[in-house]
Amino acid sequence: MSTMESGLLRKHASDAGGLRAARTGPHGHSATARTAHSMSASALRKKSDASLVRKVPFAPLRPLLANLQEVFLGTKLAVLFPAVPLAIAARYAHFGQVWVFALSLLGLIPLAERVSFLTEQIAIYTGPTVGGLLNATCGNATELIIALFALMQGKIEVVKCSLLGSVLSNLLLVLGTSLFCGGIVNLGVDQPYDRKQADVNTGLLILGVLCQSLPLMLRYAVGAGEHSVAADTTGLVLSRACSIVMLLAYVAYLFFQLKTHTQLFEPQDIDEDGEDQEEAVIGFGSGLFWLAFKTVLIAILSEFVVGTIEPTSQSWGLSVSFISIILLPIVGNAAEHAGAIIFALKNKLDITLGVALGSATQISMFVVPLSVIVAWIAGIQMDLDFKLIETGSLFVSVIVTSFTLQDGTSHYLKGILLLLCYIVIGACFFVTRQPSSHANGNGAGLAVPTGTLNAQVA
Amino acid sequence: RVGMAESAAAAAAAAGLLEPGAKEVAARSLGRTAHNMSSSSLRKKSDLALLRKVPCAPLRGLLDNLQQVLLATKLVLLFPAVFLALAARYFDFGQEWVFVLSLIGLVPLAERLSFLTEQVACYTGPTVGGLLNATFGNVTEVIIAIFALYEGKVVVVKCSLLGSILSNLLLVLGTSLFLGGLANLGKYQPYDRMQADVSTGLLILGALCHSLPLMLRYAVSSEEHTIVSWDAGLELSRACSVVMLLAYVAYLFFQLKTHCQLFEPQEVEDDGDDSVSQDEAVLGFSSAIIWLGVMTLMTAVLSEFVVSTIEAASKSWELSVSFISIILIPIVGNAAEHAGAVIFAFKNKLDITLGVSLGSATQISMFVVPLSVLVAWIMGVPMDLDFNLLETGCLFLAILVTTFTLQDGSSHYLKGLILLFCYIVIAICFFVLRRRGSGSNDGVGMGVASNTRRI
Repeated sequence: MSTMESGLLRKHASDAGGLRAARTGPHGHSATARTAHSMSASALRKKSDASLVRKVPFAPLRPLLANLQEVFLGTKLAVLFPAVPLAIAARYAHFGQVWVFALSLLGLIPLAERVSFLTEQIAIYTGPTVGGLLNATCGNATELIIALFALMQGKIEVVKCSLLGSVLSNLLLVLGTSLFCGGIVNLGVDQPYDRKQADVNTGLLILGVLCQSLPLMLRYAVGAGEHSVAADTTGLVLSRACSIVMLLAYVAYLFFQLKTHTQLFEPQDIDEDGEDQEEAVIGFGSGLFWLAFKTVLIAILSEFVVGTIEPTSQSWGLSVSFISIILLPIVGNAAEHAGAIIFALKNKLDITLGVALGSATQISMFVVPLSVIVAWIAGIQMDLDFKLIETGSLFVSVIVTSFTLQDGTSHYLKGILLLLCYIVIGACFFVTRQPSSHANGNGAGLAVPTGTLNAQVA
Repeated sequence: RVGMAESAAAAAAAAGLLEPGAKEVAARSLGRTAHNMSSSSLRKKSDLALLRKVPCAPLRGLLDNLQQVLLATKLVLLFPAVFLALAARYFDFGQEWVFVLSLIGLVPLAERLSFLTEQVACYTGPTVGGLLNATFGNVTEVIIAIFALYEGKVVVVKCSLLGSILSNLLLVLGTSLFLGGLANLGKYQPYDRMQADVSTGLLILGALCHSLPLMLRYAVSSEEHTIVSWDAGLELSRACSVVMLLAYVAYLFFQLKTHCQLFEPQEVEDDGDDSVSQDEAVLGFSSAIIWLGVMTLMTAVLSEFVVSTIEAASKSWELSVSFISIILIPIVGNAAEHAGAVIFAFKNKLDITLGVSLGSATQISMFVVPLSVLVAWIMGVPMDLDFNLLETGCLFLAILVTTFTLQDGSSHYLKGLILLFCYIVIAICFFVLRRRGSGSNDGVGMGVASNTRRI
């Protein structure tokens, strides 16, 4: 509500026409750097109140305080910031591991939002192309960092599950909730969106599904004796080659999005969106500094999350894969989720789709293959074989999302369908928990079928 | 001059709308499917100046005929490979040389067969012509499949047909959309969705028919179902094949009789003067039939060479038979269509491109594959529709990605690139499957494995 009010107030200062003129006019360059993703994240921001800062008597201190205020308090999620020091305290005061896990997860939410804000601030200084690249790379920084930490600790299962869960959550949960809420609020109103953008993402997602299916089918085909492979690492070699192709496809997608077909990805005009993101509120140097600082904080919390996931799983009686597929991504995508819903409520479905599908595409075509390549460099045997239920869920999710977005309008039933798909998948992973041996049940469970495969090959 | 031509074309179009005789004009162009329009882009006007100097009149006609048949294509440069392949075979060169030369020789032969079919179609009228085109459009694939069946190489049949579908859907379409998208950057690239939808529907029916025997085998082996006899999968495949052929007949009826307007290619105005108008026959009926017979015979000879030397080539290159059958043979078999599809994509005539690639894929999936199963049945070879898990999965995903790519009625280069990347990934998958140690009996091993499991 406050966004709407402040939007109405600010309408006097810079009306919609002015915004549009700024986009195509001399400042047009910064408009291209504003992807749907950053626009959605900005919905959570609030204008920081500078009146308090002005009362500080000491002049040099004043800009510093203003800077701090912009960085820490310029978001509605600031209430969750205390979780960050609490998580660190819990860790070093030896609270329960579960507390560390829960507090770290909570702390990651505002940090993820702030990283996106800082990326956007830096993008203002670097120009549209570099800015677009920055946004495309740091857009899912939290997922990437969690994946890298889990990889370094050898928890390949957590990496795979959290990335897969992130794609599922973006496609079904974020999109489903947004379309549902947007459909209910805009009942009777036409809810259009641009199909072309959705189609591009769909194509990439299906390519991603193909790349993940091939190692899985290879394993099954070899297991059934239909094919024989030269070495037991064939699946791994195939996964690495597929990852390179996926990264090439992602580069082509970025080129397409930022250079040749930018008009497809420009979000609808926002008339009453209040905040004006075109101006930088912090300096370049301070932006870089804070970005590094926040990234370090995210890294610390991610390490806590990854390190405490197994005790948590044990104490809550949930499997590691359920926590990784359902809980981690819900938290990791919370900020984008809120933004997507806010724009769906305003009937700006292009932005909602840009966030949800763009994020899913980015994880599927960039973070996943990057993890495989990083694992390769680090000498860890991570492949693209995400097991049958996971790959099947991903496949059906991509199909159901694609079919849902076939005609260029939306209604609440589409949202409900997506949401119910997510619930069904969540239920499936909930019942697959292993009550007897939670601790390392999943890692071992993954290793066993591969082991039998290797035995068959040999 | 261009303006005049344009106004003339507009006048002609207006006259066509008003004239009652427009129907005949449309009927005459019925025999021209997208497929032969595409291959015609490879043809060149033969130069008659040299011929007229020949003094003897009957000889002149014969030479003219020969020139039309043998030289009127840009692929004429590859014709020597036909003779080299024959020579290599009878002088006992390496088997892989025979293989390579035969494959290269098949490229111009495939194009010439399509040209001759079209010439015959000029005399037979649109419906028979359409049927001829539909039957002979992929005659190379049919002949290779029949020879491989005859030699009992069921895996080669399955792999080459599957590879042909994959190559049409992903490689031909992907390259065309990619290059067309780059050449027409910033332009609107429309196409007719209806035609693509019809092909897609048939392709999905084909994927279902391939999946059922596969799923049956997996279900039985995991003891979810029980079957009376071990050849239940074979019977299911034969029944599915009959249904697929019925669907193909219905598709031909739909395409040639009731909904021919869906399949009419876009107007080609700026074709250039290098292509011959196909409406007029340049050959006589009987001469076209004779040449058709000769070319078919040569295609058969080369196909036999390819099929019989595939294992030796696989051994000497350390590639698996399935990689050669799925990737290499279809690339060569579709080369002429591929070039045509790319040329029309460059000209932003995507309807023709789609007609070629999707039409060819549909034809192989719904006509050549079930026909092979039925021919094998007659020959007593137990060939079924069970194309193993990996192959069927690739086919299914290829059809899906093509379908979703063609959902909105316009194209851009990223769509082509995605299809192309899908093809590359599938090719990599079959490449890593190679066995270094025993490449020669790869196919046999696979056949035996599936047989024993079925028992």
